[in-house]
Amino acid sequence: MSVNLVGTALATSAGLSGMAAAAALCSPVRVRVPMVGVLSALLGAAGLVAGGAALAGHGFSVRMPDLLPLAGISLQVDALSGVFLAVTGAVIIAASVYGIGYAAGPARGRLAQALWPLFAFSLLLVPAAASVSTLLVAWELMAIGSVLLVVSGDPADGRVREAGVWYAVMTHLGLVTILIGLVWLSAAAHTETFAGLRLAAAGVSPAVRGGVFVLLLLGFGSKAGMAPLHAWLPRAHPEAPSPVSALMSAAMVNLGVYGLIRFGLDLLGGGSRWWWLATLVLGALSAVYGIVQAAVANDLKRLLAYSTVENLGLILVGVGAAGVFEDSGHPLLAAAALTAALLHTATHAGFKTLLFLTAGSVLHATGTRDLDELGGLRARMPVTTALFALGALGAAALPGGAGFPSEWLLLQSLIHGLAVPGIVVVVVLPVAVGAIALSAGLAVATFVKALGTGFLAKPRSAAAEHAHEVSGTMRAGMGVVAAACVALAVVPGATAPALMRATAAALRGPGTSLALGATRQLTALGSTLSPLLVVALTLGAVLLLRAGLTLVSGRKRRRAPVPLWDCGAPPLTARMEYTATSFAEPLQRVFDDVLAPESDIDVTPHAESAYLVERIAYSRAVPDRVEHRLYNPVLHTVRRAGRAARALADGSVHRYLGYGFGSVVLLLIVLAAAQ
Amino acid sequence: MLSLLRKIAATGRVAEPAPPPPEPAPPDLAGRVKALRGSAQVRCVDAGSCNGCEIEIGQAFGPVYDAERYGARIVASPRHADVLLVTGPVTRNMAEPLRRTYAATAEPRVVIAVGDCAIDCGEFAGGYGVEGAVGDVVPVDLSVPGCPPAPDQIVAALRRVTGR
Repeated sequence: MSVNLVGTALATSAGLSGMAAAAALCSPVRVRVPMVGVLSALLGAAGLVAGGAALAGHGFSVRMPDLLPLAGISLQVDALSGVFLAVTGAVIIAASVYGIGYAAGPARGRLAQALWPLFAFSLLLVPAAASVSTLLVAWELMAIGSVLLVVSGDPADGRVREAGVWYAVMTHLGLVTILIGLVWLSAAAHTETFAGLRLAAAGVSPAVRGGVFVLLLLGFGSKAGMAPLHAWLPRAHPEAPSPVSALMSAAMVNLGVYGLIRFGLDLLGGGSRWWWLATLVLGALSAVYGIVQAAVANDLKRLLAYSTVENLGLILVGVGAAGVFEDSGHPLLAAAALTAALLHTATHAGFKTLLFLTAGSVLHATGTRDLDELGGLRARMPVTTALFALGALGAAALPGGAGFPSEWLLLQSLIHGLAVPGIVVVVVLPVAVGAIALSAGLAVATFVKALGTGFLAKPRSAAAEHAHEVSGTMRAGMGVVAAACVALAVVPGATAPALMRATAAALRGPGTSLALGATRQLTALGSTLSPLLVVALTLGAVLLLRAGLTLVSGRKRRRAPVPLWDCGAPPLTARMEYTATSFAEPLQRVFDDVLAPESDIDVTPHAESAYLVERIAYSRAVPDRVEHRLYNPVLHTVRRAGRAARALADGSVHRYLGYGFGSVVLLLIVLAAAQ
Repeated sequence: MLSLLRKIAATGRVAEPAPPPPEPAPPDLAGRVKALRGSAQVRCVDAGSCNGCEIEIGQAFGPVYDAERYGARIVASPRHADVLLVTGPVTRNMAEPLRRTYAATAEPRVVIAVGDCAIDCGEFAGGYGVEGAVGDVVPVDLSVPGCPPAPDQIVAALRRVTGR
């Protein structure tokens, strides 16, 4: 019975995905969008049920040898998969409902609508895979689905196409490294099922395991937006339609983390300390770099994409710390760090879905993502503004927000980890604590900017002035995920038993340490219950203060409406406001050396005199420096190599035959030597 | 250290004797003076002055006359102010800003017209750019005559508002 629940839910989601895709292809446009939305939301609900059942302790395992040639499909769901299934399912529900109202133009087309449920299902398939071949198939389905969905927004737009190309190339390079790593591991272990790998991994030489881990770290890390492999995120997420951005940013990138945990901690069994130190350091780097870039970004969705880089960096810090603690023989600390990472995966998924969906509403209502042209939405789109504020509170990791409990737990586990011996650990852990603190502080500045300049004050453009609140289905989609955010923020302790099972599945330590880990986590998570207290105390204090003031003043004060104070010289115009650019300017100065912004001032003198200025044009761009410094040389070299290789192909048939002959001879010589 | 303490003990408090209490505020102002309870936040509005009065106001709040010791303090916005210190004849350009400033000042509010121009347009009466005296634009509670008035006159007017 228990086996059937997870399996039935997964089978249901597969069936719903097929139905939704068929419905999208066959039905007329007016029925198509709502039908796909409802069926996809049900698909997500099935995924949520499967994940919830797995987290409740139900296992599931099935092998379908005939479904795929040679290898077959094998699926297995344990508690660790359950976390990612549940998170993905919840995000799919919200994004699908939202998508009913959002889809417009090319996104209402047959192909785009049919891809949505297939992509959603592939996201559920990845954490359920139980063999290398199944995982790779699901991974590739997910990659193709997301690439096509990114360009589905407006394929005619050059920037969308460019983003699509970047994303396609990077995701496939990631796939190649994962493929090489996993094939190498399977060959060394003589098996490709996860169960077999788990047993055989200990017998594989440390050098091979290390090499495999480095390849997997690169491949899964690039999917998780780990710096410096994050370059596709700030390109693809802004250009994709908003529900797709939400699904990618809140569900797909998590699967990179899932891959690292599944292979690094579970199947390879922890491995060496340097693996996890590397993960931790790269995670901390991503966190700080991501949020610094987000702080100076003007494009609302680009800002959110960089915030994803930051949060995934924090999750990687947690995973890395768990690996280090596990390696040093501190299973309790490892369990706490991994719990923090998994909890942050869930909370980040919650608030990032909410933020991307609200950003989508803003884009839908105003047609722009540029914070410098928004503003004044509070009066025009009150629901969207309130929900964005809720998401921003979570992303800023302030008490009362969804991100606070998980980041707090992560900091706690790192601070307690200072007891772990080892000179590198002693240096790296405090630096990681500092990085988390810095990124949390910058996140506050970033989201104050996003909310303050994007939604409050006066509108800075006609588009923002004529904005209108979005449709009911979009509000429903945002409302669902907002409720989840509030739940995660107020009672994070409720997730404790489920996360404990997941960490136990990932760390597979001896029974005693797991039992100890359980109590430790309970106490640790028990104290994260304090957010509820904080919220209650704050609300209580405010109400008390208000009641006290009313009592002291004795009578109701007369309210006299007066015009807004404008220094006596009306009218106040939007040009007098802080813009996103000016708000971020001090931060841009502080991080000048890191960001290397390109600003340009162009002064046009008056025709009559060189001393009179007619016009001053100021332009500023903060390009991704990693992209400039790291990717451009590589792209340049590849392009040069391609041009040089053109000389080899001069059109002569004889020469081509010679190439073929030469390579066959070379291959034979190599084979002979290998024998 | 001990000698210093002994010196302090032996010398006692050295200060000028307190000045006589200010003239009581006019009856229609008395309620507001009581509500301000000895602390008046002052916003200066130049409604078209030649800046002579501004120089004297500057002196009134300088170290010699030091109006702050009587509880008056210059602030940067009418939103923070109880008292408006208005100078000059009200020019056409400043009439509306003055009205808005008055509206933006929190109640209970007091308006003091400083200088002859503020009281009756002085030298500039009938000028093409002059809207009128301060009293024509906002209700005036106290006035300080003089062209320009001496700092101690300004301090005396402020003391009637703070009551100290």
